[in-house]
Amino acid sequence: MLTIQDLHVFHGPIEAVHGISLEVEQGKCISLLGPNGAGKTSTISAITGIARSTGLVRFEGRDLSRDSVEARIAAGIAVSPEGRRIFSNLTVLENLTLGAALQKDAAEKAKDTDHWFSLFPILAERRDQSAGTLSGGEQQMLAIARALMARPKILLLDEPSLGLAPKIVRQIFDLIADLKTRGMTILLVEQNATQALKLADYAYLMSSGRIVAHGTADDLGKSDKLMAELTGVA
Amino acid sequence: MEYIVQQVLNALSFGAEYALLALGLAIVFSIMGLVNFAHGEIIAVGGYTMVAFASLAIGNPMIVMVGAVLAAMLASLTLERVAFRPVRKADPTTGLLTAFGVSIVLQNLFLLFVSPRPIAVTSLYFLDWSIEIAGIRLASLQVFETLTTIIVIIALMLFLRRTVLGLAVRAASLDFEMVRLTGIRANRVFAIAFLISGLLAGLACIFIMARRGSVDPHLGFEPVLKAFVACVVGGFGSLPGAVLGGFLLGAVEVAMLVMLPQSLGGMTDAFVFMIVAMILIWRPDGILSPAVEKGDKL
Amino acid sequence: MIRLSSSQRSGLVGAALLALVLVAIGLLTAYFGSRYQVRLVYSAYVNLIVVLGLQVFMGNARITNLSHSAFMGIGAYAAALCVTPENIKKISLPDAPWGLAQFSLDPVVSALIAVVITAVLALLLGMLIVRLTSIGATIVTLAILVIIHAIFLYRTDIFKGNQAFFGIPQVFNLTSVIAIAILVVIVCRLFRESRWGIQLRASADDEVGAAAMGVQIYRLRLIAWVLGAVILAVAGICYAYFLGTISARPFYFNHVFLTLAMLILGGMRTVTGAVLGTFLISFGLEGVRYLETGPVFLGIDLPEALGLSGIALGAVIVLTMALRPTGIMGNREIETLFVRQRH
Ligand SMILES: Nc1ncnc2c1ncn2[C@@H]1O[C@H](COP(=O)(O)OP(=O)(O)OP(=O)(O)O)[C@@H](O)[C@H]1O
Ligand SMILES: [Mg+2]
Repeated sequence: MLTIQDLHVFHGPIEAVHGISLEVEQGKCISLLGPNGAGKTSTISAITGIARSTGLVRFEGRDLSRDSVEARIAAGIAVSPEGRRIFSNLTVLENLTLGAALQKDAAEKAKDTDHWFSLFPILAERRDQSAGTLSGGEQQMLAIARALMARPKILLLDEPSLGLAPKIVRQIFDLIADLKTRGMTILLVEQNATQALKLADYAYLMSSGRIVAHGTADDLGKSDKLMAELTGVA
Repeated sequence: MEYIVQQVLNALSFGAEYALLALGLAIVFSIMGLVNFAHGEIIAVGGYTMVAFASLAIGNPMIVMVGAVLAAMLASLTLERVAFRPVRKADPTTGLLTAFGVSIVLQNLFLLFVSPRPIAVTSLYFLDWSIEIAGIRLASLQVFETLTTIIVIIALMLFLRRTVLGLAVRAASLDFEMVRLTGIRANRVFAIAFLISGLLAGLACIFIMARRGSVDPHLGFEPVLKAFVACVVGGFGSLPGAVLGGFLLGAVEVAMLVMLPQSLGGMTDAFVFMIVAMILIWRPDGILSPAVEKGDKL
Repeated sequence: MIRLSSSQRSGLVGAALLALVLVAIGLLTAYFGSRYQVRLVYSAYVNLIVVLGLQVFMGNARITNLSHSAFMGIGAYAAALCVTPENIKKISLPDAPWGLAQFSLDPVVSALIAVVITAVLALLLGMLIVRLTSIGATIVTLAILVIIHAIFLYRTDIFKGNQAFFGIPQVFNLTSVIAIAILVVIVCRLFRESRWGIQLRASADDEVGAAAMGVQIYRLRLIAWVLGAVILAVAGICYAYFLGTISARPFYFNHVFLTLAMLILGGMRTVTGAVLGTFLISFGLEGVRYLETGPVFLGIDLPEALGLSGIALGAVIVLTMALRPTGIMGNREIETLFVRQRH
């Protein structure tokens, strides 16, 4: 579904990712692991078109690498970005409405809103509250719900567990597992390898802008490389 | 009694004009950090459009007013495309200086191609007559101006709360990139902000022209300077701040006009700015600074 | 004896190089120029001092100032009021309050008084300005420009408004203004390379860090602001002491954006940029002004085109911002063009 080949990502003059290739198949959950500064977020930014990149980004057989950010989103990519980036000056409901910005049909939009509110009851309770007043975990749920409002074909999740208490982390991963069983295609960026590998069908390990290992979650989970990269112990 | 009501209305109509202009400045600033020094020239475009209608012998006031507003909106949109797009991502100082340069170019274009001297426009005099409400005589123009502004503020609020594009404009003031990541085209958000800004300037233009009856290349300078000050007082980039600042400035100005002796008439603005300076000593970021809102992005 | 840091020493080298340029232009004008050209070059040097005064604050604190021409005006009027002989003031300012028409001082004392008055005023206004956000500060400087101009116009009994304030002794010539310009170049370079200047520029590049510096940053901005105002007062004095008459109009908008365009084109971050921009625009504008009068060119009688120079200046600002926001010089001073940089 999503194919990336020889992707180089740049922040100004700095090259953060040096030619990686990866593949996300329809209905699968693929995990992208790696330590701080490995280039995971840069890769996500290149897929959405926020960061400048060279190489191929193909989505459903179409080359997106020259398309604008907006066109890529319209093609069916949605992202819950690093740091959540909810619109804290808007209410919870307004955040969700913006998530479905491309949905023209008001009835469908209302249906989706109700659907996600039923799945995230805590958000439903706070629907008219300013999003800035939510707790970290609630904000993360809002960020994911906002992305889902777009009815994406693929969901990019950048470190959804970052900075959350273990109990909340479990909730978030349960949610992702649930989405997966509903057939959502997911690219999950995580530092929390144990949890991510439990979910993922296939995983890539990044370090210093390169993919250093990949394989099924089981294979990679057993590899020494993973432990070495993530803990810094060689 | 009559005198008090008249002065209150006076203050409201002054404030309304500043609020309209300040809102137009704030909405553009909130999404792209641009201090639009060329806002005054948008007003002048409206004024010269009225001149053009007059020279075509079109006197229908509806056509003149709608035409002027549309011209202001078009001018605002054009400036965004031609002048401000290259500095969209630049720092505020670069944007500010660009706008300053654009303002100089436009003023001198009016000078070169129209005239450095004021040109009379009489088609809007009909807006100003004396009306009597509950036994109190008031200037109709001031009533119109105040009412229009209130209606416009309500309409703008509804737009910003009820429509996706309106939500996007509000969200963009916090995190423009994230707005793009919801699939809304950045160009549309910029276009709508400049269109609103032009619309507000065009409306203000109608009232300014109805009062002054003539247009010259510097038509917009003084009201926009006041609007800028209103924005600074209210907190630059905050929309409620712009409205608050505008009405506050109107009230201070009328208070000065009433209280200062005749012999100091030419110095009203100096006294108004002095009071503003005192407010800024108290709150350097303005009364409703959006800085607090921006902070929780981190 | 003041110990100079290495960056200040290279600043002095740069100032010396700029001084050579200033002297060369002056000598060429003095020997080959017509009276009109001498006047033209003199005013270019006055504008250079203005642009340098602007650079001290804008270039180091990176806050756009739009009130500089007003401070130049304050310096000019203050000196003029002190130095003009009593018998002339009795005719030109018959209603002057506070005995302003009843005394006259020698040019040096007058200039000193003018500088002190401007500095005190700048200090008072500066205490407000340096605390505002950069944009708020810019708009307040615009308001200051308008107010001071209104005062010049309103108090005709002191300033004569748009009429000529005449009878100022013409004590300066081209040599004096060149000497002063060179002195100001040195001051600006020494300030830029001083600890204060370096801290100020560093804080302007990094706003979060600047906020952490808190009060310190306000003090540094205030120092630059007052120093800039002093230089602007000097420019005003040079203007008045050469022309012999002044009025309110040259200290208003047109002059503000003329000098602003000069600084922006050359590059506000450097003193070299200020010098380069001033001369480029001073001389370039003469060509535009010639077109403005509607000359006969290649047999074609061009129409009078009032506003052309304004369009040119505005276009310079817009294009510089779009293509090269840091101006021609960017972050480079003149000496770096000659000496290879050590890394
Ligand atoms: N906007 C930017 N400007 C300059 N360099 C950047 C920028 N964003 C990222 N980088 C650099 O690119 C490299 C990769 O960063 P990236 O954010 O992609 O890492 P990451 O794998 O997401 O790390 P983390 O787990 O900490 O989020 C880093 O060296 C970082 O410093
Ligand atoms: Mg990351």
